Amino acid sequence: MLIAMNVLETLWTKIKQALICLRPGRVTLPYPFAPHDPEEGFRGLPRLNVDKCIGCGGCANVCPARLIRIVDKDQTTRVLVFLYERCTFCGRCAEVCPEGAIEMSREYELSTDDVHDDMIGEYHIFMGPCERCGRCYRPPSVLDKLQQPGFRSDCIDRKCPPEGCRIVLDEDTDDRAEAPTQTASR
Amino acid sequence: MSRHVELDEDRAVTAEQITDSMRRRLGDGLLDSRPAGPTRLYLTVDPAKIVDAADELFNGLGARFVISAGTDERENRGGFRVSHFFSFDDEDLYVALHALVPEDDPRIDSITPIIPGANWAEREIQDLLGVTAEGHPDPRRLVLPDDWPADVYPLRCDFDTRDRPASAEGMAPPMKNRPEGAVMVPVGPYFPTQHEPEAFAVFVEGEVVVDSDYRGFYNHRGIEKLGCADLTYNQIPFIAERICGICGFVHSCAYCMAVENAAGIEVPRRAQYIRTIFLELERLHSHLLWTGVAAHIIGFDTLFMQTWRMREPVMWLCEQLTGNRKTYGMNIVGGVRRDLPADAHEKIEKVIADVEREWSALTDAVPGDRTLIARLEDVGTLTPDQVRQTCCLGPTARGSGVAIDLRIDHPYAAYGELEMEKCVEDGCDTLARTLVRLAETPVAIDIIRQCLAKMPDGEIQATIDEEIPPGLEGIGAVEAPRGESFHWVLTGENNRPKRWRVRAPSYQNLQAIGPMIHGDVLADVPIDIGSIDPCYSCTDRMTVIDRRSGQMRVMTREEILDRR
Repeated sequence: MLIAMNVLETLWTKIKQALICLRPGRVTLPYPFAPHDPEEGFRGLPRLNVDKCIGCGGCANVCPARLIRIVDKDQTTRVLVFLYERCTFCGRCAEVCPEGAIEMSREYELSTDDVHDDMIGEYHIFMGPCERCGRCYRPPSVLDKLQQPGFRSDCIDRKCPPEGCRIVLDEDTDDRAEAPTQTASR
Repeated sequence: MSRHVELDEDRAVTAEQITDSMRRRLGDGLLDSRPAGPTRLYLTVDPAKIVDAADELFNGLGARFVISAGTDERENRGGFRVSHFFSFDDEDLYVALHALVPEDDPRIDSITPIIPGANWAEREIQDLLGVTAEGHPDPRRLVLPDDWPADVYPLRCDFDTRDRPASAEGMAPPMKNRPEGAVMVPVGPYFPTQHEPEAFAVFVEGEVVVDSDYRGFYNHRGIEKLGCADLTYNQIPFIAERICGICGFVHSCAYCMAVENAAGIEVPRRAQYIRTIFLELERLHSHLLWTGVAAHIIGFDTLFMQTWRMREPVMWLCEQLTGNRKTYGMNIVGGVRRDLPADAHEKIEKVIADVEREWSALTDAVPGDRTLIARLEDVGTLTPDQVRQTCCLGPTARGSGVAIDLRIDHPYAAYGELEMEKCVEDGCDTLARTLVRLAETPVAIDIIRQCLAKMPDGEIQATIDEEIPPGLEGIGAVEAPRGESFHWVLTGENNRPKRWRVRAPSYQNLQAIGPMIHGDVLADVPIDIGSIDPCYSCTDRMTVIDRRSGQMRVMTREEILDRR
């Protein structure tokens, strides 16, 4: 009798389980054959807008995975190298950027079948004396406060008039070609 | 356990009483007693008296052993600091026992003979810092790779994070000897039902387990070293979050709480509520995940598929709210980074209402399943006394009637303002541990609802104007889905911690696997191991057993490559 009841109870739970399975139907998404957009507010790969960047290096300073490398190529060019393969999408760089130059994109599909794709984003920021007015980039800026190695002192120290010119050459597109350039290998 | 119960009449141990009783027991051996607020007590004792002090706390006063930590303080104090941490769960009090071991004689008496749960903790100090635990019953290497040189201690300050000692061939883990007449069965390093690699050596006579051994830490990532040497206070939360692949938020939360505790930072209430909501969302999806994994281990894949289907909307919800489905990146010292969006309440309510409805249908259908119960009942027995001795935590302890739940015992974040009850079962078996988790899932949903109702407006980050001074210590502990996640931070120079100690709950729970599987049949071993919801590090090797001699040998990388 007891056994029969146990059998019946188990059978009854199995029926309930079957209903639980049947109700939602098929839920598997066709990804990757159909695109799957991330949710609203997703933090994807950080992208730098070279027109806004002032080269202060705050992003490199806070990055927990330390994937942002800053190199000064010459007197007027600062290169920000993003080693994207290390990126954890935490978004700290975008958070601390004083100019809002970094945006967390919605890109997340980073795998590649190209062996030469080194997942490096290289951004060239034009720094130092303005080519048009010959004066330097306006202080006081975030740069003044940063006294850490890796930052050029020559362009920080230089005095500049208070109305100092912001070197991004917005109005004159002819000059732009040789000023801020953006090369990104992906 | 017996002494724990005897103390019941004169409970309510206060920090003063602990200091008094330590002074009686140790005399001049108690060098310093420093309470930090009502819930923390830092004691410094003579290293020669460390066993007496630990015995007084664990056996005399009935404290629970938490973890040990070793710190290299040769530069500023001329020695190594060995710390043992204890918790008085009924009194919401954490007690640290510090002792300074001289540099030229780095030895300290082992407390493992009186507290079996300190076994791994002391071996870890021995491995990483080179402070020998004298009289340790099992002083084998635990954390470091087998080919790591004997006199190189990675946690010492003079070891650079970029140093890589040369590897050696032909090394084998120092495993226990096979008992006479028993056969050794390896579970792992790669075992189909364990979602992470681990290596158990299970010794069986016929079908019955008579002994076992464990080798883990194969891919120890040195996160603590990184945290002490390279990273700043606000970089660590993001690394801490990646300690666990399921419940990472508890680690970043516990870390931030430890720093806030050390520096006396007051976290705004709204941030506390946001942390609580995500801690419970995480518990919700973690328990759903565990239910699925446990079902999968015993071959009940229907349940596996359905719980994981139910889990997915929770992950999507977290992605909407925080920007990522698992690594929320919300915590920062002093609060949280992102406020909840305006429509968060409706979004959360919709998802948890769906999960609640489906969960109640599931819990209605599943526990009546005799096949399932037959697989779980009276399997993997762990008595309350064994829980106390091995210092188990979370659902593993609560399934054996030991009611430790930090959310009530040591209220943190917003839990002090919320109402909840501990879920405790006294079956002491795998079924009991399952029932605890089944019962906790609706409790998590209820807590989220309470948070949404009570959440105040306001700031989400405390303003921190001054640099955190060196030499302060703080403890942060969070009830993770698997038990207590414990972080201790000793502040240092240059905006960096001097020492950051992490103890995940599985660290203690894995030490209970031995007593748990003892006497079970071999077929139940996977679900026994699964029942503590273990989190392992990864391993990259292979164990080969010679069938005739029973000798175990670890293959070298070259041998494996040759075989391919």
